[in-house]
Amino acid sequence: MLIGVKNEQQLAEHLKQKEQLNQSYGAIVRRQFRKNRMAVWSLRLLYVLLFIALSADFIANERPLYCKLDGKTYFPVLRQYLVDVGLAEWESQFFQKSWHEHNYERVVWPLIPYSPQTIDRKNINYVGPGESQRVRSTWFRHWLGTDQLGRDVAAGMISGTRIAMLVGVISMSVATLIGVLLGALAGYFGDDRFKISRIRLILNILALFLGFFYGFSVRSYALNEGHFGWELTKSLGIIVLALFLANLLARVLHRYPAFAKKIVIPMDLIIMRIIEVFNSIPALLLLLSIVAIIDTSSILLVMAIIGLIRWTSIARFIRAELLRIRSLEYIEAAQALGFSEVRILFRHAIPNALTPVLIAIAFGIASAILLESFLSFLSIGVPPDEVTWGKLLNLARIHPSAWWLAVFPGLAIFATVTIFNLIGEGLTDALDPRLKE
Amino acid sequence: MYQYLLKRIFIFIPTLLVISLLAFGLSKMAPGDPVELFLRDRSGDVERDLINADRIYQETARYLGLDKPAFYFSISPAAIPDTLHAILNPIHQENLRKLIQQYGNWPQISGWYDNIRILEYEMAALPPALATGTPARNVKANLRQLYVNYQDHKISSLLGQIRQGMEQDSLLKQSLAAGFTDLMQSYQRVKSQKTRQLLYVPDLKWFGLNNQYHCWLTNFMRLDFGKSYYDNRPVADKIADALYWTILINCWALFFSYLIAIPIGVFSAIRKDTFYDRFITLLLFILHSLPNFWIATLLVVFFTTPEYGMDWFPSLGLGDLPKEAPFGDRFLERSAHLFLPVLCLTYGTLAFISRQMRGGVLNVIRQDYIRTARAKGLSEQTVIWKHAFRNALFPIITMFAGVLPAIFAGSLVIEVIFNIPGMGKLTVDGILSRDWPLVYALLMITAVLTMAGILIADILYARFDPRVSYSSKK
Repeated sequence: MLIGVKNEQQLAEHLKQKEQLNQSYGAIVRRQFRKNRMAVWSLRLLYVLLFIALSADFIANERPLYCKLDGKTYFPVLRQYLVDVGLAEWESQFFQKSWHEHNYERVVWPLIPYSPQTIDRKNINYVGPGESQRVRSTWFRHWLGTDQLGRDVAAGMISGTRIAMLVGVISMSVATLIGVLLGALAGYFGDDRFKISRIRLILNILALFLGFFYGFSVRSYALNEGHFGWELTKSLGIIVLALFLANLLARVLHRYPAFAKKIVIPMDLIIMRIIEVFNSIPALLLLLSIVAIIDTSSILLVMAIIGLIRWTSIARFIRAELLRIRSLEYIEAAQALGFSEVRILFRHAIPNALTPVLIAIAFGIASAILLESFLSFLSIGVPPDEVTWGKLLNLARIHPSAWWLAVFPGLAIFATVTIFNLIGEGLTDALDPRLKE
Repeated sequence: MYQYLLKRIFIFIPTLLVISLLAFGLSKMAPGDPVELFLRDRSGDVERDLINADRIYQETARYLGLDKPAFYFSISPAAIPDTLHAILNPIHQENLRKLIQQYGNWPQISGWYDNIRILEYEMAALPPALATGTPARNVKANLRQLYVNYQDHKISSLLGQIRQGMEQDSLLKQSLAAGFTDLMQSYQRVKSQKTRQLLYVPDLKWFGLNNQYHCWLTNFMRLDFGKSYYDNRPVADKIADALYWTILINCWALFFSYLIAIPIGVFSAIRKDTFYDRFITLLLFILHSLPNFWIATLLVVFFTTPEYGMDWFPSLGLGDLPKEAPFGDRFLERSAHLFLPVLCLTYGTLAFISRQMRGGVLNVIRQDYIRTARAKGLSEQTVIWKHAFRNALFPIITMFAGVLPAIFAGSLVIEVIFNIPGMGKLTVDGILSRDWPLVYALLMITAVLTMAGILIADILYARFDPRVSYSSKK
């Protein structure tokens, strides 16, 4: 009896330990990742960059963080946010003089007391970091020099950090969305597992066609003239409704065996062809020729387009992972339990395939940032009032003697790209299946 | 093997068709009126009379093939006629389309459009004394506005303004009254005889082979890419000139990078984990991450301008020695100009290739047959170069294809910065000057070249690596 209890306890403990070992795939990955010192440091630097990007307005701003003027206390940087949303307004005195010209009783300036667009008339025509500058105190020095109009380069670098991070996040969100979906379809269904009944296929194609016709072709006048977001929602609603009705009808018609006969669609082949099309056009060229035809330049649009182009590597990663996962026992078990393929795919297969995608995302962010900097280097697709690293670098070509314009922005691009590449390498090592045992 | 080749080529064609659709679709969406873009540098500021301007416009549009439908078929509401593409001016066409989307009655709308044109021609035929007066000018300006307005309140107010302008001058009123009444009546007809139900009927219109896409594609196969909007030169000639420079600098860059990368890769693989290996790996990693447009800018800033006393290289471009100059001089001049661009192109590829080479050799060295070779007592040199190196070369061959798109993109950057008249510079210039035929022909050609490169690499791989078998995939 006693011996039995002891054995049971031992067994429980043993099982617990084993469970810990089994469940902590994330912990193993983290431990492996921490072994790579370069990658860890890159991650820390990335946090710094993210911090700069988030708090850019508090680091480089022509407005004081805090000031006391005529006995009244202001927090101009914070207040600007309220003004931007329309909740507050500036007093007239702030319009009469620029922020640097007031006689404050007490004032706390940001680290860089210039906004990216602030024009310092006393320091125009490329004043270098080491040259004598006409500023009132050391705090107001242009530590990284100025450009032709007298704009502070350091402030521009801070604003460029924000844009670069935004490029990475937005473009890769778009890319991940497309890549995961298409890659998962290709990998999970392969060439032989996507079966669909004849009638469902026909009705879905028909519904898609009619949905587009009634949603977009017929409604294009309403889409152009009305409130775009609302009309777009209506159009998409029409498509969804058409698809829903088609599937409902298909279910009813399944009674007839001639309709219910299954057809196999080679998902993998189709999606791999699409990937091949995208890969055979150099991304930069494709990006340039798409951005060129957009009349209104918007940096958000450029980011989205980068995402639309760079999803292929994510799709390939997740495809490879799902090819492995789809033959695992737990998927077979789920199939045996009679779950629908869609449910298995989204609830059971994709969540387990997402970790390796991080590698593709890390490298993807690096290349997205490079693409965007080169576009703004050529000043294509970037609105004129936006300051980015690429744009600053371009100024150096116009005026070669301003070495600070050539060195600092490029260094920032290089550092950011390297950070993401190192994180990507670290992740690759950490997720290497050979180390998993 | 041959089956595999046939299969590859068979897949190649639909992919190309998809790319051609993409390029054609993008070129159709490009902003601006192609005729205006084509005419802009030729017409100058000469103010032509209406009839001449119309004739030239139509001739140009026909010359550019714009009088044809865009594609083999179109699916649109039945209210939209299959002859809408015959309205050559894209702005007018778009406006008419919007009118149709409101009222759905093409016969009436087409009558309205004809009446505007008739009135415009009547105005053009007015005696000069009358036509230069202020009322006539106002009427003319308002009449032109009718072409680009589709909202009811705007059209009504424009018609009201035209009536007012005509009231101011009795002679004008007399000569235009009939035309104006027709115009008013036709607008009333547009509004009263709506056939909006036609908007909800899908209609497939088949245009046959005589369409813009078909012509563009067949011309493309015959290497006729149209004429540049910018200087009227055939696009094919411009591309041929540019291709020479791109291929020249890229061949040199590829040659140098393979030349340097392969030994580096092999040595750092056989001395794995030594100081030498770590140093080289780190160096290559840094080189790989250095953005080439930054390095190029730095080189241009520091080494081609006299500002910093390091003016060692000639400034941008290719140099301008005449063809009669001795070969040696020309060679030196060219080399001096191409040194920096080729350097910029080389270092990135170099880093990439040698990292791959190192990985490849490391992979091979672990194999059993290497151990066997060593056990046989072969010298280390023989083992490395005869057994390991040869087998590690295969991935390097395929990589040639992977490097190709990167090379095109990379040389785009470098050509722009160093002002070399290659494909990349041509593309960027084409985009900046809105020379769409050039830009989209370049997009197609680059894609074709890249795909051909990948195909060739696959064939080489299949031909030379005995381990690869293509008889069946699994």
